Amino acid sequence: MLRAASHILVKDTRLRLRDRSVWLFAFVVPLGLTFLFSSIFPDTDTIELTAGVVDLDGGEVAAGFVEGVVPALVDAEVVTAVSFAGESEARAGVADGAVDAAWVLPEGFSEAVLAGGDAQIEVLVSAGSSLPGELARGVAQAYARRLEQVGLALTAEGALTGGPPSPELVEAVGGAAADAEDLIRLSTRTSQVGEPLDPLSYLAAGMAAFFVFFVVPYGITGLLEERQLGTMPRLLAAPIPPGAIQLSKLLGAFLLGITSMTVLSVASHLLLGAEWGPPVGVAILIVALVLAAMGVMSLVAVFAHTAEQAGNYQAVVAIVLGLSGGVFFPIPGDAAVLRLVTSLSPHGWFLRGMNGLAASDRWTAVLPAAGAILLFGAVTAVPALVLQRRRSTW
Amino acid sequence: MDSVLHCNGLRKAFGDLQAVADVSFEIAPGETYGLLGPNGAGKTTSISMIAGLLAPDAGEITVLGTRMTPRALTAKAAVGLVPQDLAIYPDLTGRENLQFFGRLQGMSSRDVQTRTDEVLEVIGLSDRADDRAGEFSGGMKRRLNIGIGLLHHPKLLILDEPTVGVDPQSRNAILESVESLATEGLAVLYTTHYMEEAERLCDRIAIVDQGQVVAEGTRRELIDLIAEQDLVRLKVTGDVHAAAAACADLPAVSSADAEEDEVVCLLDGAAGNLPALLGAAGSVGATVVGVTVREPDLEDVFLHLTGRALRD
Repeated sequence: MLRAASHILVKDTRLRLRDRSVWLFAFVVPLGLTFLFSSIFPDTDTIELTAGVVDLDGGEVAAGFVEGVVPALVDAEVVTAVSFAGESEARAGVADGAVDAAWVLPEGFSEAVLAGGDAQIEVLVSAGSSLPGELARGVAQAYARRLEQVGLALTAEGALTGGPPSPELVEAVGGAAADAEDLIRLSTRTSQVGEPLDPLSYLAAGMAAFFVFFVVPYGITGLLEERQLGTMPRLLAAPIPPGAIQLSKLLGAFLLGITSMTVLSVASHLLLGAEWGPPVGVAILIVALVLAAMGVMSLVAVFAHTAEQAGNYQAVVAIVLGLSGGVFFPIPGDAAVLRLVTSLSPHGWFLRGMNGLAASDRWTAVLPAAGAILLFGAVTAVPALVLQRRRSTW
Repeated sequence: MDSVLHCNGLRKAFGDLQAVADVSFEIAPGETYGLLGPNGAGKTTSISMIAGLLAPDAGEITVLGTRMTPRALTAKAAVGLVPQDLAIYPDLTGRENLQFFGRLQGMSSRDVQTRTDEVLEVIGLSDRADDRAGEFSGGMKRRLNIGIGLLHHPKLLILDEPTVGVDPQSRNAILESVESLATEGLAVLYTTHYMEEAERLCDRIAIVDQGQVVAEGTRRELIDLIAEQDLVRLKVTGDVHAAAAACADLPAVSSADAEEDEVVCLLDGAAGNLPALLGAAGSVGATVVGVTVREPDLEDVFLHLTGRALRD
């Protein structure tokens, strides 16, 4: 059976080599889109914030920001800090783009905080630095939230004692407000998209997963194509086991899918710098996804009468599953409904597996996702086989 | 003489449609056997069972003594099938098409190479062997279609309406090829709804209608079924069907059918009964404007046996 199947497979491969559309779907378009999207959407991992700080206050609380928060952010390589003597100098630096943003702590800032009044950090943002500017705003807002908590503590203490806050308390809450650890976490969170897989790698994996559902049908619809060409009777009349024909088509779909995803993973790594993670884990996910694609597309093809009809049905299913799986845009971790939707797509599980792989760097991390993907394959392949057998042979 | 193909009591239904009701025949080596019948008579379904594409609901097929089923690889190896529709890959060259199907037949690489060149020569495509089949003319594609069926030296070649949609020149070339194959000892099963092809090629013919073999024999034997009679065609104006019915009532007339503007009658002694025929047609208001008297052919036999024309 294998010998006959290999003859048909070689013939199909020869035909595919002459049919350029398969190569477009398998390699050119996904790689091109990855490149295009990665150019359009900036890599937020590499946001660099050069910021100035102006302390017009000189008080305890302002010092907490200038001497506590900013140096900590610099140490964490989140910010490159520049000192300005005054607000006008800072404004000029922001206006001419010398810095992305500047924090201005106005006169009376500390006093206002300690009095529980309205205190503001002014954030100046350069017109051409929207993303770094957002990062600067985020830092200021986080510090402001911390100061609100401090203000509440001071108000409570004042209500109890009926006098001004004690120096010990001022020092304690000032130190707490200046604790930059959570601000660094905020900055790090801001500079990520919400998942361990970096955006370029996510996009490359998403594109490969999306287009493999367009590539696999080239093999799956092979039986319909043979019927349409009129060659099926001749194949069935040949002295080969009838199962060899189906086997050859399934092998073709599998090899086409594996080749497409492997080439894309290697090419996106070498050409675009995408990081796919440990090869064993990636291979498990790729094999699982290709098998799932074969199952899903086989089931869809059962309902079609011609290869063209099958192609149309399969394209719709591939797009719906791809979009619901979040292949183009990462699904935020706190978006519960969207996470649920991605769970209904093998693409979603594939990307979840890739994220797990990137987070742990261990190939075993992909096993739950691979299991879920294979479940999609099994659930669709079984009815496809049953329905296929019920149909006439040619 | 052992038969190459033996079919006995074949039956096949698709749902409520009884495509093949009772087909039995056998073919000897070197014999060309024709299945003659209109479209939908059950010829292609019969061939599909004989080639092992379909399992019969009842009956038995043996090829060289081996029972044919969809899984009978030995029996299949002895059969060359030329399907009615073109069964070639347009994106492969003529040579690649032949080589692919040769390998599927289990031929060695050397045999495939040698035999491909031989077959290309036989079907007259040697000079276009490396062109894509999709670029071939309709006749060339038909010849390639036949060549693939011949590649592995089958003992039985099944040709299912191989001249449908072919220009007269290519059609003649195909018929000549089939004639030469039979002289080389190949058993040929040939289906057609063209009476003249069956008459020219086939040693024996089975007339098939509604899934049944209604008559079988050589051309002479089949025509002898109505040979003692003459065939008279009356070209009439007026009610053709009424004229046919009036003619059919005459004692000497064994059948009378309306066919377009003609009444086709089989009768004993055309010369003596012609006045009565004209009178019968005239009695229902029809006017006879032309009369043709000739010896019956297979078309007439089919009409006589089934009451319908082959092209219906």
